[in-house]
Amino acid sequence: MSRTMDRLFRARPDVTDAIDRDALFARIVATPQDQEQPQLSRSGRRRLLIGCIALAALCLTAGTAFAVTGFNLFGWHTDTTIVKSPREWQRLYYDATRQLTLPPGEHWPDRTLPPNTVTSRTQPGGEAVAIARTAWECYWVDAIHHADAAAGRQASAALDDLLAHHVVVAPPGSPENVAPPAGTQPPFAIFASDGGIQYIRKMYRDAADGHPATLIQSCRANGPVGTR
Amino acid sequence: MTHTDTQAESAEARFAGVFQNLGSIVRYAAARGSSDPEGIAAEVMTIAWRRLPSLPADDPRPWLFVTARNLLMAERRRTGRQAPFDEQHAETPAPEAESGDPAVTAALMQLRPADRDALLLVSWDDLTPAQAARVAGISPVAFRVRLYRARRRFEQALSAQLAGTNGSHTVEMEST
Repeated sequence: MSRTMDRLFRARPDVTDAIDRDALFARIVATPQDQEQPQLSRSGRRRLLIGCIALAALCLTAGTAFAVTGFNLFGWHTDTTIVKSPREWQRLYYDATRQLTLPPGEHWPDRTLPPNTVTSRTQPGGEAVAIARTAWECYWVDAIHHADAAAGRQASAALDDLLAHHVVVAPPGSPENVAPPAGTQPPFAIFASDGGIQYIRKMYRDAADGHPATLIQSCRANGPVGTR
Repeated sequence: MTHTDTQAESAEARFAGVFQNLGSIVRYAAARGSSDPEGIAAEVMTIAWRRLPSLPADDPRPWLFVTARNLLMAERRRTGRQAPFDEQHAETPAPEAESGDPAVTAALMQLRPADRDALLLVSWDDLTPAQAARVAGISPVAFRVRLYRARRRFEQALSAQLAGTNGSHTVEMEST
């Protein structure tokens, strides 16, 4: 120890106290103790803080990955595969038509991929679903006009089946090239989560209840030119 | 004997170990200029008993000193509020280190509070650097660096004090 530090040590004040230690001890231990749980130690708090920071970083990373690279919510994901060959498009469309039914007397229109166009692999099936839906809606409208209740019931059942098995609703905020979970049986049309599917269901319910105005309007808007 | 009785005895036995630091806390508070060092120490022990389960089991001394320091600061705030306006704004620093050696006291008061605290925790309060680091709330490595610098500054300040004292003594001698 240097002379200076020795001098500092010797300068320590000499304190004597007049505390009656036994009495103070007895008085203190006679008081109640706190019932609270032991708090986290400093190292425990530090570990907790590090855990929180790691969790926040993980959420941030996952969020960024979700937004940028290919989000995956309950199996929904972005579909980066594309179709650019008309022949491939027509094959997918043809496969879809074999899974769907059209009203009696209708036939599948010839469709193809326009030149200089690319699309997703689910789009040909979605188009086939849309064609079938419009065809059945117009068939139903015809049935109403001709008071053909059996045909109306047939159309209603076909449309219910389409909505139940060939329409999927993407999660809110999905990108444009969203695809449903692997294993979803094609063909299917992908609806945005914007209330469109509810609107269509209500349109069919109303038509079945004798209020076909919206259904007629839909057929007129989406059906072949000059229909109904 | 019930389970509760056993628990109470166990707590008292543990607190007896903590209570042995009473004298150290009195010295700590007195050396920092407390107007009631015994009261501060008694309050520290009362809090320690109340919060006994929260006290570090391995070494409660740093916890006791931190509590004492907080009580000292509260005492100073109270004193400052109660002091007349002129005293509140006086330039004289608070008596944070009162020793029996005026030159040492003067040298200590020239240090930054953090340096002074580091020096005194080790030299007056018999804390190890690791314990003192916990009181200061910094890592042991950072504390050792602070202590090293504080020692150097103290030595310079004390040398200056002694030179000044000798100088003024010489002048007095010459004038007589």
